[in-house]
Amino acid sequence: MSQAAVHRLLSGVRCLRKTPQMFGTNPLFAAQQRWLTFNVQDEKDFKDRVLENDKPVLVDFTASWCGPCKILGPRLETIVAGYKGRVELAKVDIDEHQDLAIKFGISSVPTVIGMVKGEKKSQFVGVTEDDLIEAFIEKLLPPS
Amino acid sequence: MPPVAFSGDLKEWVQNTINCHKVMVFSKTTCPFCAKVKELLQSLKVEYYALELDQISNGSDVQQQLLELSGQRTVPNVFINGKHLGGCDATIQANTEGRLLKMINGEEEEYDYDLVVIGGGSGGLACSKAAADLGKRVAVLDFVKPSPQGTTWGLGGTCVNVGCIPKKLMHQAALLGHSLEDAKNYGWQLQEETAKHNWEKMKDSVQDHIGSLNWGYRVQLRDKTVQYLNAYGTFVDQHKIKATNKRGKVTEVTSANFVIATGGRPRIPDIPGAKEFGISSDDLFSLPYCPGKTLVIGASYVALECAGFLAGLGLDVTLMVRSILLRGFDQQMAEKIGDYMENHGVKFLRQYVPLKVERLQEGTPGLLKVTAKPTSGAESDSITGEYNTVLFAVGRDACTENIGLDNIGVRYNTKNGKLFATNEQTNISNVYAIGDVLDEKPELTPVAIQAGKLLAERLFNGSTKQVDYTNVATTVFTPLEYGCIGLAEEDAIAQFGQDNLEVYHTNFQPLEYTVAHREENVCYGKLICLKTDNQRVIGFHVLGPNAGEITQGYALAMKLGATKDDFDNTIGIHPTCSEVFTTLSVTKSSGGDVKAAGC
Repeated sequence: MSQAAVHRLLSGVRCLRKTPQMFGTNPLFAAQQRWLTFNVQDEKDFKDRVLENDKPVLVDFTASWCGPCKILGPRLETIVAGYKGRVELAKVDIDEHQDLAIKFGISSVPTVIGMVKGEKKSQFVGVTEDDLIEAFIEKLLPPS
Repeated sequence: MPPVAFSGDLKEWVQNTINCHKVMVFSKTTCPFCAKVKELLQSLKVEYYALELDQISNGSDVQQQLLELSGQRTVPNVFINGKHLGGCDATIQANTEGRLLKMINGEEEEYDYDLVVIGGGSGGLACSKAAADLGKRVAVLDFVKPSPQGTTWGLGGTCVNVGCIPKKLMHQAALLGHSLEDAKNYGWQLQEETAKHNWEKMKDSVQDHIGSLNWGYRVQLRDKTVQYLNAYGTFVDQHKIKATNKRGKVTEVTSANFVIATGGRPRIPDIPGAKEFGISSDDLFSLPYCPGKTLVIGASYVALECAGFLAGLGLDVTLMVRSILLRGFDQQMAEKIGDYMENHGVKFLRQYVPLKVERLQEGTPGLLKVTAKPTSGAESDSITGEYNTVLFAVGRDACTENIGLDNIGVRYNTKNGKLFATNEQTNISNVYAIGDVLDEKPELTPVAIQAGKLLAERLFNGSTKQVDYTNVATTVFTPLEYGCIGLAEEDAIAQFGQDNLEVYHTNFQPLEYTVAHREENVCYGKLICLKTDNQRVIGFHVLGPNAGEITQGYALAMKLGATKDDFDNTIGIHPTCSEVFTTLSVTKSSGGDVKAAGC
């Protein structure tokens, strides 16, 4: 694996859409899985990895046609990676998973929802400053 | 004759009278239809109360109240269990369909919805949202069958996905190219002598905008609590449709009322290779690669607009036309549009029809060979040409096949599949139609929207307002835009006779063209006035930049019956193109010169 590829993984900028299963077999990927950014595949996947997740999850509702989403997405990934697995990031493409987005009352993208134990705790809409995103995450974390 | 005895508000009294009687008939002793309804009720051994409005002195006041309550002024006016049924026909029909006794006995079938709209285009969405605003239970079915090339799209119908929106944006892309040329004359120093256009970038930007619109429509439906079904609807009976989703799962949906708003799709001629290798406007706006050297076949506004913007983007474009341009539009204007396009890089193959399309090379784009023959010639006179892309724009067919119309007996024009309707109501009383599926009605998004909104108001809010289909303004977004309202000159002549008309016209030169050294005498405006009606303007035509923006306001003037005098009494805005309509003085009959002069 090239240096660049490793760097991409460590910075959390990656796409799991095509082959999520490879992460279970590759030891490097498996190690990274603890602070995973993942694309939601379907409603069951959403239930398994978001609603039933023990850790807080940021759900990033995003769309391929949305310019601001392309700015916010990578920044969210970097910030979440900094929490080293204490919080996860789930990306939901609102066109591929329209029912989910509609159910969650999404009107504009990007909308980020903070979920804790299957419950919506908070949300923000639009490109937001890094420190505000960090504050948003802090509020989702269990008291230490 | 005594008035009805009541105290207080007449409306309240009428409402109470309706509520107090299981079967209430507002009637007149002299009315044969009223007699018919009463006979029917008697034959069914149904107890009813009839109020004879001609036997009371304030009968016409009661009728006025009935109009407000039910949207119906005429008698008989029948209410059952407080619900408005209608007149004689509605009562007899309800009986024929076995609904009348059920309604009287309170066993009226409960439908899933008050309104189901088939088709999520501009008209269908407008209608469904308006009905939901009135508190009705509404569902919209939207399902896009892939084009022969496999193109599909999201919610919103033709205009948003494969019509007005992408074409206007791509028209704008072409205009910007032209503006870059002008810019040099205005002092802009461009880095490269000739700017290059990137199709993929344009396509992505346009499609991104469309994606956001699709989503916006979906959100609106949720916010207005309109149920959205991404499924194909087929009538099973008058109150039931079968909805098939993309996985083939079938559900049945029942409704008191239906609106057919399925729109139309491009027609692909039945010649070898057309479906396999050709594309249509369904495919063009999301084509992943630049179409390259393109043959556009057809003379419709779609054909001219597409040929126009493709040429404007710098592509080698040929337009193959069977006979006249823009059938149905003013032919003088159509010819001027053609001339302008021909002078701006579009090659014309006039009086030719395609025979076959063959693929010489695969690719993105590939290479196709088209064989065509003269319209009135033999196949032996045929010609061939090689193109990267062949775009068919020969017309559109209504999407009324395979939606089960014959299962319920909706009448339609067998020539074009379009539905017959009066005030958007088909021959089946609870089945309505709006938009491009309607026979003899303009195929325009705003027309469909207006029809959908007003229909919902009439169905669920007692409104009596109908769509005014006259003097609908429209614009063809050819490189030089063409806006029109009212009659084409030839239609005006056919309707009123040449002698009764005066046509005022002129060329004009947009100020912006002068510094840019663009050609003179291409822009043109004319007003067709009816001499026998105080020179009322019955036709408005403008060819020039921003014709759409110019035309809209004048549509209001024409709705209000503006005369030539009114136009003359209006003071223009200087310097604009639109101001020429306030100073038109040369008549066609005078034969005077209309070449543009300075300001």
